[in-house]
Amino acid sequence: MGFFEQIVAILQQYTPFFLDGIKNTLIIAALSVVLGAVFGTLMAIMRMCKIKPLRWLATAYIEFVRGTPLMVQLMFIFYGLPMVGITFPDVPWIPNFSRFMAGIVAMSINSCAYVAEVIRSGIQAVDDGQMEAARSIGFKYGQSMKLVILPQAIRNILPALGNEFVTVIKESSIVSVIGISDLMYSTNGVIAITYRSLPCLAIAAILYFILTFTGSRLIAVLEKRMKHGRQ
Amino acid sequence: MEDNNIIEVRGLCKSFGSLQVLNDISTDFKEKQVVSIIGPSGGGKSTFLRCLNLLETPSSGEIIFHDVDLCSKKIDINVHRQKIGMVFQHFNLFNNMNVMKNLTIAPIKINGKSKEEAEEKAMTFLKRMGLEDKVNSYPSQLSGGQKQRIAIVRSLMMEPEVMLFDEPTSALDPEMIGEVLDVIKQLALDGMTMIIVTHEMRFAREVSNRILFLDGGRIDEDRTAAEFFDDPHSPRLISFLKKVL
Ligand SMILES: Nc1ncnc2c1ncn2[C@@H]1O[C@H](COP(=O)(O)OP(=O)(O)OP(=O)(O)O)[C@@H](O)[C@H]1O
Ligand SMILES: [Mg+2]
Repeated sequence: MGFFEQIVAILQQYTPFFLDGIKNTLIIAALSVVLGAVFGTLMAIMRMCKIKPLRWLATAYIEFVRGTPLMVQLMFIFYGLPMVGITFPDVPWIPNFSRFMAGIVAMSINSCAYVAEVIRSGIQAVDDGQMEAARSIGFKYGQSMKLVILPQAIRNILPALGNEFVTVIKESSIVSVIGISDLMYSTNGVIAITYRSLPCLAIAAILYFILTFTGSRLIAVLEKRMKHGRQ
Repeated sequence: MEDNNIIEVRGLCKSFGSLQVLNDISTDFKEKQVVSIIGPSGGGKSTFLRCLNLLETPSSGEIIFHDVDLCSKKIDINVHRQKIGMVFQHFNLFNNMNVMKNLTIAPIKINGKSKEEAEEKAMTFLKRMGLEDKVNSYPSQLSGGQKQRIAIVRSLMMEPEVMLFDEPTSALDPEMIGEVLDVIKQLALDGMTMIIVTHEMRFAREVSNRILFLDGGRIDEDRTAAEFFDDPHSPRLISFLKKVL
């Protein structure tokens, strides 16, 4: 049997496995990016605020998380949280909920640091003159942010946030090592049954690519929309 | 203290780290007067202007605007800034807003004007400048000269008592300088109090009541416009004028 026939045969039999993996991968990526965006925003605000200890804390967090491997962070959360008494209960409607949560927590912690940098650089990319003009006319700092700076920063931030989502889809394959049934985990499962690793990995690669490519196309469309909205 | 002083500067010093940029400056600006500030690059002109509305925080000294020390921690600087218009070298129109929004956002959000009232006033200004067809344009669609004239109108919308200009024509193509200077000249005729940092010597001479020469963080010469050019005393001003005229 040739390579492509093998792929077709595997797909005929195991498509539900792969679809289930895709579903979990997307859930993990989406939740991680949403949580990462919420906490990343807070982190970015802390990093730019006037209170030095907060700023220092945020900087340390961001640098540390970005400077250590996701794999280590994941293991740390997975083994570390139960040790300090934090456990997630098992819920009947999501199998392996506690593992699932550990994965999402680790991915969010990681994403938060990257998102914070995305937001900070998006805001700092707005010309200083915009803030000065707003302040000189009599707007308070908060008003200037809300009316002038953030609407411009969002144009820089949203596409970068989209890229972060694409990155998270790829990186999330790592959570399979703690037994979360994401796309990578399903792929390994199918390999274990069929003993055909290359065709299965090819399928996984194509599926990941479809996810990320669709994601980045959507972002490109969004970006274009925003440019048009302005003119 | 004279009654018609609108801004009094007392012992103003400003340092950035160890670099002292303004060195004990004291001077007054009177109502309805136009004062130009001229000087070599790095002499502290922008810093001085930006201290007047506290865009830069002075290291020491007082900026007294209508008997209120703007450097005092007890005052709300935002209230006073509304009355001090500022025009920048790079225009700094709000890029996320069209011309109408640029002009009306501050009167609406800060002064609580109604949208209709603010837009009517903006239209009057735009018509006077012949820019009424640009009302829905975004800053990126305007020429430099148009941007700067809109920026001036944006300040005027707040009915300022004094206007600060920081090299309003330095970023413009030569053919657009005239249209902006004409607007400023008209403001002078209308009796607007203005402080103008400029490199346009002929314009400064024409429009100013007084000219200051700011060099090395000090006011080195403070004369009427004609005296400033025809009878300069400071050796540094004399050599500066030789270079630029
Ligand atoms: N935010 C800042 N931080 C550090 N140094 C600064 C800052 N702003 C200005 N300076 C320095 O202060 C000095 C005076 O600058 P300023 O911009 O006031 O000069 P200027 O007279 O406006 O010059 P130009 O004609 O080039 O605009 C310069 O040496 C400049 O490098
Ligand atoms: Mg300057």
